[in-house]
Amino acid sequence: MISGSKPVVVGIADMKMVNGDAKVITYALGSCIGICLYDPKLKLAALVHIMLPLNMEAGRKNPLKYADTGIRETLKAMQAKGAMKSRITAKCAGGAKMFEVAGKGALGNIGQRNIESVHTILKMEGIHLVAEDVGGGVARTLTFDAATGMATVQSYGKPVKTI
Amino acid sequence: MKIKNYDELTALEIDTLREVGSIGTGNAATSLSQMLGCEVRITLPEVRIMGYNEAIDWIGGPEAITAGVLVGISGEVNGIMLSVQPLEFVNLIIRHMLDKELASYEELEELEMSALVEIGNIMISTFINALSGLAGIKVELSVPSMAVDMQGAILAVPMAEYGGQTDYLMTIGSNFMIDNREVPCRLLLSPDVRSLNYLLRKLGVE
Repeated sequence: MISGSKPVVVGIADMKMVNGDAKVITYALGSCIGICLYDPKLKLAALVHIMLPLNMEAGRKNPLKYADTGIRETLKAMQAKGAMKSRITAKCAGGAKMFEVAGKGALGNIGQRNIESVHTILKMEGIHLVAEDVGGGVARTLTFDAATGMATVQSYGKPVKTI
Repeated sequence: MKIKNYDELTALEIDTLREVGSIGTGNAATSLSQMLGCEVRITLPEVRIMGYNEAIDWIGGPEAITAGVLVGISGEVNGIMLSVQPLEFVNLIIRHMLDKELASYEELEELEMSALVEIGNIMISTFINALSGLAGIKVELSVPSMAVDMQGAILAVPMAEYGGQTDYLMTIGSNFMIDNREVPCRLLLSPDVRSLNYLLRKLGVE
């Protein structure tokens, strides 16, 4: 676990956990979704950056790439640090459609499928989703502050949004 | 026959893909040169197989704003082709075609946008034409689509599309030399894994 003032960067298919006064950030969420899971009592925050809705890989080498295994893995890691599932809440951002492509099947719908999958998994795990900024057609950079439990979303050409 | 993933390609296969990239980008440069009325050459084409976060570093960080034109490829080969257009490239096009210059992407208006979509589309179509001639395959191209946003999110489109098959992003392409200046216009071809294997077979390697 890392503390300090500089935000900890979460890459694609990646997860980082911080506590105290630290922040986590993940850049340029397009169709991907960033899910912040937070235990307010411990001020323990985890941010996972998932890319796809469901893990159907045989080897499951990279669980953090998918919404289902990514969220579960993160919850497990938080519980190992003493977090209680009943206290954990979620905030998420992303799931945009970057390109409008006519007549090419599933392309461009990944964002929507990710949103639906994140909702389903959170519900199954009994995690309350307190706020979200999802869908639309713009990329988002998501920051989460473990001290306050607040998330900020920055998009190109738009004011910063706090969720 | 075993389907090979991006990271399992042999040197010969990579060389073949580089050649495809060279011919494809070369043709795209010719059509760009005709449209702009100036000399356009290409730098040495590259085939890159990168992890996700490596690819984001390579393009120059996740948050920089860029224009991207995307065309979907379907038929005997499925994939995505992207023309990533940094501001320097955008200005070059707009200067030649519309005699204007932009300080940022926010000044892009409808006319400039459609010029960029068209340029992207023509370059991608020429590239794919060369590829399909070379390999003797039939493909269809989707209507082009454009986005101006953080480049990390634009690059994540081909990653997510094939993310269920691989942890890597493969790109084939090169930069342009226009008016003797290297302009980083990246034409990126990302085939799906199965199509990549089919393509290599059609090209006579594997």
